[in-house]
Amino acid sequence: MLADIITPDLFASALRMATPLALAAIGGTICERSGVVNIALEGIMLCGAFAGVAVTLAVGNAWVGVLAAIAAGVAIAAIHAFTSINLRSDQVVSGTAINILALGLTGFLMEILYGHPGTTEAVETIKPIFRFASERGGGGFLAEVWHWVNTILFSHTPIVYMAIIIAIAMQWAMYNTRWGLHLRALGEHPRAVDTVGVSVLRGRWVAVLISGALAGLAGANLTLEQVGSFTENMTNGRGFIALAANIFGRWTPVGSYGASLLFGFADALQIKLQIFRGEINIPPQFFLMLPYILTVIVLAGVVGRSVGPAAVGKPYEKG
Amino acid sequence: MPLLELREITKVFPGVLANDRVSMRLERGEIVALLGENGAGKSTLMNVVYGLLTADGGEVLVDDAPVKIKSPRHAIDLGIGMVHQHFMLVEPLTVTENIVLGREPGRFGIIDFATARERVREISERYGLKVDPDAKIVDLSVGMQQRVEILKALYQGARVLILDEPTAVLTPQEVTELFKVVRSLVDEGLSAVFITHKLEEVVAIADRILVMRDGKVVGETTPSATDEIGLARMMVGRDVVLRIEKGASTCGDTVLAVEDVHVDDDRGLEAVKGITFSVCGGEILAIAGVDGNGQRELVESIVGLRRPKGGRIELKGKDITHANARASIEAGVSHIPEDRHRRGLVLEFDIAENIILGDHRTPPVAKNGIMHPKAITEVARKRIADYDIRTPSERVHAENLSGGNQQKVVVAREIGRNPELLVAAQPTRGLDVGAIEFVHKQIIRERDAGKAVLLVSLELEEVLSLADRILVIYEGRIVKEFAVADADAETLGYFMTGGGGSKIDKGAVPSVPETSATGGDE
Ligand SMILES: Nc1ncnc2c1ncn2[C@@H]1O[C@H](COP(=O)(O)OP(=O)(O)O)[C@@H](O)[C@H]1O
Ligand SMILES: [Mg+2]
Repeated sequence: MLADIITPDLFASALRMATPLALAAIGGTICERSGVVNIALEGIMLCGAFAGVAVTLAVGNAWVGVLAAIAAGVAIAAIHAFTSINLRSDQVVSGTAINILALGLTGFLMEILYGHPGTTEAVETIKPIFRFASERGGGGFLAEVWHWVNTILFSHTPIVYMAIIIAIAMQWAMYNTRWGLHLRALGEHPRAVDTVGVSVLRGRWVAVLISGALAGLAGANLTLEQVGSFTENMTNGRGFIALAANIFGRWTPVGSYGASLLFGFADALQIKLQIFRGEINIPPQFFLMLPYILTVIVLAGVVGRSVGPAAVGKPYEKG
Repeated sequence: MPLLELREITKVFPGVLANDRVSMRLERGEIVALLGENGAGKSTLMNVVYGLLTADGGEVLVDDAPVKIKSPRHAIDLGIGMVHQHFMLVEPLTVTENIVLGREPGRFGIIDFATARERVREISERYGLKVDPDAKIVDLSVGMQQRVEILKALYQGARVLILDEPTAVLTPQEVTELFKVVRSLVDEGLSAVFITHKLEEVVAIADRILVMRDGKVVGETTPSATDEIGLARMMVGRDVVLRIEKGASTCGDTVLAVEDVHVDDDRGLEAVKGITFSVCGGEILAIAGVDGNGQRELVESIVGLRRPKGGRIELKGKDITHANARASIEAGVSHIPEDRHRRGLVLEFDIAENIILGDHRTPPVAKNGIMHPKAITEVARKRIADYDIRTPSERVHAENLSGGNQQKVVVAREIGRNPELLVAAQPTRGLDVGAIEFVHKQIIRERDAGKAVLLVSLELEEVLSLADRILVIYEGRIVKEFAVADADAETLGYFMTGGGGSKIDKGAVPSVPETSATGGDE
C-alpha cells in the first residue's frame, strides 16, 4: 500500500498545492518586511480567483483572466494600503474587514453576473507547459527515473513554475538590490529609513501592492490552472496558512516557498490518504485537518521561536 | 563666514512653545555645545535643522544662503549630519548596510556591496573609527553603535555633525573616547553641535556654549569664561544647590528590618549573599556600590518584585518577606524604580493614569472596585501641582514628557501615597541639575516627616549629599558601614571596589544604637 501512496503523483500534487500558498506567502513576506501586516491575503486571493474566472468567461482567454486576477489583487491591496499606511488604522482590523468584504463581494457578484450563488460555469484551464511522453525506451530503471522526474518536474502549469522563479528572484532582490535593503530596513526601523531620505510611505505602498499582485496570482492559479471554476469561499483558509508559511520560512521568499511545500505536501498526502479510506480505518475528516494542524504546530512555535520585523504592524508617523 | 546660521527659529507644538526665536551660529572647525534642561527645546531645534520638523518661523542659512530644509535628505545634501538621541540604526542589518542606507553604490538598483564595504573601510580608517563592516548592529556595544552613526553621517558627506545627547547612553570610558573622536573630526575641518545637559561635559568639549531654557537662548559663553555653578544658574534660571543642605536626623522606631536575606538573580546565581540591616523612621540609609553588586536584587526583594530564597524582611514588625508588589504597597512601601521607562511608568498611559497607579484599588480613586474618573483627575491635578510637573494637562501621555517630568510623575505617585518606607533606586538617573535638586528635596522632606528612606545609588555625590548613614555593598555583601560624617568619596570608592576585602567590618560602630550592619554568612 505504501507504494500506492508514495508515488510521483503525490510529489507533483504537493508542488501544485504549494503554489497558491507560496505565492501568497511570498506576498506576505514582502508586505510584513515593509512593516505592514497583511492578514487580508485570504480575501485578496479570493477576489483574484473570482476575477480570473469572471474575465476568462467574458473574453474567452485564460491569460487575460490571469492579468485580471493580478489587477484585482492589486486593487484590493490598495484598500489595505490606504487604510493601514495613510489612515494608520489597525492593520489586523483592516485586513479582517477586507476578508469579510471579499467574501460578500464575490458572492454578490456571483448573483449579479450569473444569477445564482455557489459555483460558476467551468472555464478551460491553462494547460501544462511541457508534454513529454512519460513512458520512454521500454522499461527498466532509467525509464522509472524518467517517469518520476517527468511527473514531478515537468507536468505543471505555467504559474507553478512562475512561483518558483518568483521565490528565487525575490530572495535575490531582497538581499542584493536597493529596493530589498530599503524593504528590510522599513519593517525594522522606519524612522531610520526616513532620516536617510527614503520615503516610508512609498516603500510600504509598493510592498503592499506587490503582495496584492502575488495573492491575486495565487487566486488565478487556484481557479484557472487547478479547478477550472470559481466557488464561493474556495480559498478556504489558504491565505492564513500562507501567513503561517511566511513565519515558518522566517520572513524570506525562499523560506516561504519551502514552508509552503511542506503544507502542500500535507495537503497532497491528505487527499491521497482519503483514497485509501476503506483500508485505513480513520475518518476522512482527520486527514482534512492535517494542513491546519500543521499550521497550528508551526504557529505555536514548535519549530523555534521566530521573531518578525520589529516594527511590523505599527503605523508610521512622521515627526 | 558661518557654516550654519539659525535666525529666530520658532517652533510651536500644541500647547508648547518649544523654540522661541532661537538664533545661533556655527563656524567652520568649531564645537558649539547646546546646554539646557530636559525639555528646553534642544532636540526640537536640531530636528528643524535636520529637516525632521518644519519651523513655524525663522530662517536657516547654510554657507550664508537661506535654505528651506524640507527633509532629512535635503539636510544631508547640504552637508548636515545628525546622530540622534535614539539611534537610527537597523539592528538586524550589518554596519555596511546601515551606513550606505539611502545612498547605496551600484547600478540599475543593484547594490555593489564590494564597493560599499570598501568605502566604509576607507572612511573608518581616515577618521580612525575602527569598526567591522560586516558585523550586525545587534552584536555591537552601544558605544560601537554610536560610532556607526557617526560613520554614517561622514559617509553621507557631513560637514556639520549634530550630536543629540550622545553621552547619555555611554560608559565613562566611552565618553572619553567619544570626546577624542569629536575633537579629531573637528581638527579635520568638520564642525559639531554637541547637545547635552551635563555641565562637566560642556566644559570639557565645547569651544562655545549656548544655554537654552524654556525654548529660548538665555546665554552664550565659553568654557574659560564660566564654571559649572555659573552654567547651572544660567540653565535653570536660578541658583542651584549642587549639594543639598539638610538638618540632623532624628531616628524614630525601626521601620524596615532586613535579616540575613539571600536573593538569586535572573540567572539563578546568588546575588545577595546574606544581608542584614535596618532603617529607622526619619533616616536616609544609602546603599553605595558599583552597579551589579546585588543592589537590584536586594531592592526588588524588599519591594515585593522578587522572592528572596532565605532570610526575613519586616516592615514595622510585620513580616513582608514573601509579600508581592500589591501587598508590599498596602504595607506602606513605595518604590522609585531605577528604570522609569520599564518599571516606573506605562508610557502609553496619560499622566493621570500613571500618577494613580497602585492607588487604583483604594478610595478616593476607586470605590468597590470601580474607578472614579473625577476623583482620578482631582488626585492627578493635585499631585501635578504639588510636584511641579510641567505639562499642559493631566491627559498628556507619559511618553511625551521630558525625562525630568517623567521622573516627577513617578516621585509624585510614590511619595504622594504617603508611605512608611520609600525605596529610591537611582532616583536621579539621567536628570538635569534642576530636576535632581527637586527630587533630592522631596526625599529629604520625606525623611524630615519621619519616614524611612532607603536610597540605592551609583553616584557617590548623591549618596554623600543625601544619606545619614551609608552601607557599602560589594559582591552581594555589606562590607562597610559609615556615618555620613565619616565618609568621603575616596574611602567609599575604595570599599566599593572590594578594597576592604569582602570581610565583615566589625569595627564600624553603627551610628544608630538599635541598627547594625553585618554581611556575609561565615
Ligand atoms: N512631537 C512633539 N509633540 C508635542 N510636543 C513635543 C514634541 N516634541 C517635543 N515636544 C515638547 O517640546 C519641548 C521641547 O522638547 P525637546 O526639544 O525634546 O527638549 P530637549 O531636547 O531640550 O530635552 C518639550 O516641552 C516637549 O515636551
Ligand atoms: Mg532632547
